[in-house]
Amino acid sequence: MSVLSDLSAAVEKGKRKVVPGLVQQALDEGIDPNMVLNEGMIDAMGRVGEAFRKGEIFVPEMLIAAKAMQAGVATLKPALAQGGGSSRGKVILGTVAGDLHDIGKNLVGMMIESAGFEVIDLGVDVADEVFLDTYEKNPDTKIICLSALLTTTMPAMRSTVEKINAASWRGNVKVMVGGAPITQAFCDEIGADCYTPDAASAAEAAKKLAG
Amino acid sequence: MLTKRQNLLETIHGGKPDRFVKQYEAFGMIVGNAFSKHNPAPKPGEENIVNAWGVTRSWPKGMPGAFPVHKPDTIVIKDIEEWKKYVKVPQVIYDAKEWEPFIEQAEKIDRKDQYVTPAVFPGVFEQCHYLLEIQECLMAFYENPDEMHELIDCITQFELDLAAEIVKYLKPDALFHHDDWGSQISTFISPEMFREFIKPAYMKIYGYYKSHGVELIIHHSDSYAATLVPDMIDMGIDIWQGVMTTNNIPELIKEYGGKISFMGGIDSATVDFEGWTQEKVAQEVKRACAECGKLYFIPNASQGLPVSTFPGVYEALDAEIDKCSKEMF
Repeated sequence: MSVLSDLSAAVEKGKRKVVPGLVQQALDEGIDPNMVLNEGMIDAMGRVGEAFRKGEIFVPEMLIAAKAMQAGVATLKPALAQGGGSSRGKVILGTVAGDLHDIGKNLVGMMIESAGFEVIDLGVDVADEVFLDTYEKNPDTKIICLSALLTTTMPAMRSTVEKINAASWRGNVKVMVGGAPITQAFCDEIGADCYTPDAASAAEAAKKLAG
Repeated sequence: MLTKRQNLLETIHGGKPDRFVKQYEAFGMIVGNAFSKHNPAPKPGEENIVNAWGVTRSWPKGMPGAFPVHKPDTIVIKDIEEWKKYVKVPQVIYDAKEWEPFIEQAEKIDRKDQYVTPAVFPGVFEQCHYLLEIQECLMAFYENPDEMHELIDCITQFELDLAAEIVKYLKPDALFHHDDWGSQISTFISPEMFREFIKPAYMKIYGYYKSHGVELIIHHSDSYAATLVPDMIDMGIDIWQGVMTTNNIPELIKEYGGKISFMGGIDSATVDFEGWTQEKVAQEVKRACAECGKLYFIPNASQGLPVSTFPGVYEALDAEIDKCSKEMF
């Protein structure tokens, strides 16, 4: 199993040129693709997230690790599809209407994807209707994540959550919120299900919410 | 009663201020210069305005400022390895006539009461990610360090050229310079990486201003950056404006007071929002003044200009700081 240890270390260090080769080597050795994904990469990203949460590493380290994992997943995908590998579920993600900030949202997306979810990233300045329409086209979505970085766009987050809360399918999906001015109190006030202060915690919370 | 300028000096030098410095009151701010006249910037509600560096920015209606727009076709540096192909450094030297309105502004400021304080933004780090897109920029620090050093050298030279014009025409005695170095809970890059890439640029830029008559450097970063404070001191920063509560300001004052002062302590998000109240503003100002004390601290919202996003908040903060001054001095 040493190739998995090597792969895990390469993901953690963000060696995106090395990771695809190690994934291929693991597959050539006959290791189950799901094991390559979980033990070779998802666990490594879990450690990266934890180190980020503790302030031991910074955004660039997290980014290069996530990019390395993406490169590995690209190599692994055909084998996963053949073997019926499954994701943890779909997550819809976006920054609310009027807000053009993207890095926090992107980091959350990368960490959630690295935790094994399929992420539908709607980008920035996303209107309420787009979140709703996207869910309706993807009713198997488990979580909708909303980001707002400005006090001026907190009302837009409130509006999006209100519309989701009024939808007939609300009981089937969890709503997570985050961003600089967002707090647990605001999350409770607007009726979202979960607030997390950073991208690593968001991925951990998503795993719990998705069950 | 001390002048605004004297009171600021007493505060930051550990002397005997007779009241709190009220936010930006000691700075006669000059926002604009001959270069910025030729550097298109979006007004509120305007979209996709391309500036002199080629960076596309939009200012969505009702938002506090403009943001870079990074789509595949609008990103300036499409490949960091070929950055020289993409970056066209804008002209910085303009005829003396172009400086006249700004010289007039400077002349109207009573230098006995206030510092003549030009504002410069974006900063070096911000310019890097405006040109590259922030994720690409942050990864480039790791993956293309040589090119990042070259790009930063190029931006630094531009800043030095601009600095030469600013000191020539405005003869400032303070400088207000933006560069956001973190989120509210962390710096964007590690202190080691900051020391390698960003600090040397500011040693040159702030060193130039200080050797040309600028007495005070006020640096804006409304973020966590407590781990960078020793470097800020080395760089010549006198006042860190925008310091957020996540930095544990009382501890920073205890450790570094006398070498640097801290302007902020009131996170804009806690007071400057739809439905703000005077009571909430009063509560935050009182907390900040009580926690941080009279020396090496200037109570101020973290916003990087003497304005607020929602009308009336800036003035409400001023009024509550006056009340705290009456109670505590």
